[in-house]
Amino acid sequence: MEAKYDFETKYRKQILQCSRCGFCQAVCPVYGLTLRPSLNARGKMLLLKEIMDGQIDLDSEELVETLYQCTTCANCEESCPSGVNVPDIIKEARKDMVHIGSCHPAFKGMNEVLQESGNIYAEDEPEDFERKRNQKAEHVYFIGCVGSYREDEATMSVLALLDRLKIDYTLIDEVCCTGVLEDLGYPMIDKHVRTNIDLILATGAKTVITGCPYCSRTFNNKPQYAELKEKGIRVMHIIQFLKDFDFGVQTEKRVTYHDPCDLGRHCGIYDEPREIIRKIAPNFVEMPYNRENALCCGAGGGVRGAYPKNSIGMARRRLKEVEEVDADILLTECNSCLHNFSNAKLRKQRFKIYNITQFISKLLEEED
Amino acid sequence: MDIRGYNMPEDLYYEENHFWIRDEGDTLVMGMDDFAQLLAGEIVYVQLPDEGKELKAGKKFAKIESGKWLGKVYAPVSGELIAVNEELETNPGLINDDCYGKGWMFKIKPSDKGELDNLMRTVEEIDTWLAEEIEKYVTE
Repeated sequence: MEAKYDFETKYRKQILQCSRCGFCQAVCPVYGLTLRPSLNARGKMLLLKEIMDGQIDLDSEELVETLYQCTTCANCEESCPSGVNVPDIIKEARKDMVHIGSCHPAFKGMNEVLQESGNIYAEDEPEDFERKRNQKAEHVYFIGCVGSYREDEATMSVLALLDRLKIDYTLIDEVCCTGVLEDLGYPMIDKHVRTNIDLILATGAKTVITGCPYCSRTFNNKPQYAELKEKGIRVMHIIQFLKDFDFGVQTEKRVTYHDPCDLGRHCGIYDEPREIIRKIAPNFVEMPYNRENALCCGAGGGVRGAYPKNSIGMARRRLKEVEEVDADILLTECNSCLHNFSNAKLRKQRFKIYNITQFISKLLEEED
Repeated sequence: MDIRGYNMPEDLYYEENHFWIRDEGDTLVMGMDDFAQLLAGEIVYVQLPDEGKELKAGKKFAKIESGKWLGKVYAPVSGELIAVNEELETNPGLINDDCYGKGWMFKIKPSDKGELDNLMRTVEEIDTWLAEEIEKYVTE
């Protein structure tokens, strides 16, 4: 019998490989918060099998929540003994859902917003960050939507740091990389991709540094941005760029680090941030769940936009680990994680939260 | 008091960024008005600065977010932040449920209550202002 949906054509075997062991339940941030089996990988695979068997249809309102309330953190995939690539399966199922007109209204809205606007928030005026854009330079610093419109202080800090290190860089009149849309079941937006590529090329830069690990994954992995590689332009995340620098500051404070899913599990970047942190904070301590086992902050996969209360709830769970290790400072290097954690932190929790670059900038300022 | 479909109680001052102020003598209580809470949608986060923070009239001192919107909270008068509604930390939706009551946000000790004269107070002022805001923000 021919498959009705693409997710079955591509992933039937994997869906059937799920042995229902439930290892994924132990690491799923959404399940950890809600305890709802349908919101966990095991439950999703069971439901997708029901769809493949014709018992239920993809076009059902309950399935919108099941398939869209997922941060795509890939902790399930990391833990799965049966080799089921859950995030890829979910993304394909979302494409099928969008195709039949079934999608979470927040994500439908995000797609509509990005057709008209250059950022996911439909904001008209970006901060100018007191710096010119579209100059000729060796590097482009690509901020990303969250850094531009929700974490402008963190962005100012990283730019101040780049200035101190005398890096020749320019900002550009960037628009959303639109990589997020593919994860939600929509195509990326050609005109925005074109705008970003043209602006980058016009600067003459050979390296693009991104503040957002999601943007760097999009630029590096999506064929829509292949032209950058073809023209010899490297794209790297700020933490990769700063790995070998010496900053000349240190703190005695007890510091811990949260691995953003987009930097860690999705890109395998675990050592570089730790090397940098150990230079500036010798009193470094790991949280119980770290590196490939890091618990997701809850913001990814569009969940912060569509299920903000649960998103913040997931962040709150992760922040308990910071208390467990009695850290004074929580560091990360992802504006989405930073934003969600900042919103989730309770007043009684006295630790501070920064991006690594923001923290280094702060230490340097204090020394001045 | 219903003005153009929005609940805007009479005994309050209103600030142009859609925050209300109630005069309780030595203390002012501040919150978000009905127009803004409806436009914002479900509030998911309110920044609650530490008590004792110095406030300057017209200067931003906190942030507030709904799923789709980030708003800035501006001090209506100069003074000191003396209390925050800690319930909002885990239940920011109180602002949507009861924006003039349980959803109050901040208490301020003003340094000059005369600054309240800069805010809107009469039905006529509020009506004119709301008409403009509806035209600006409320899509059909």
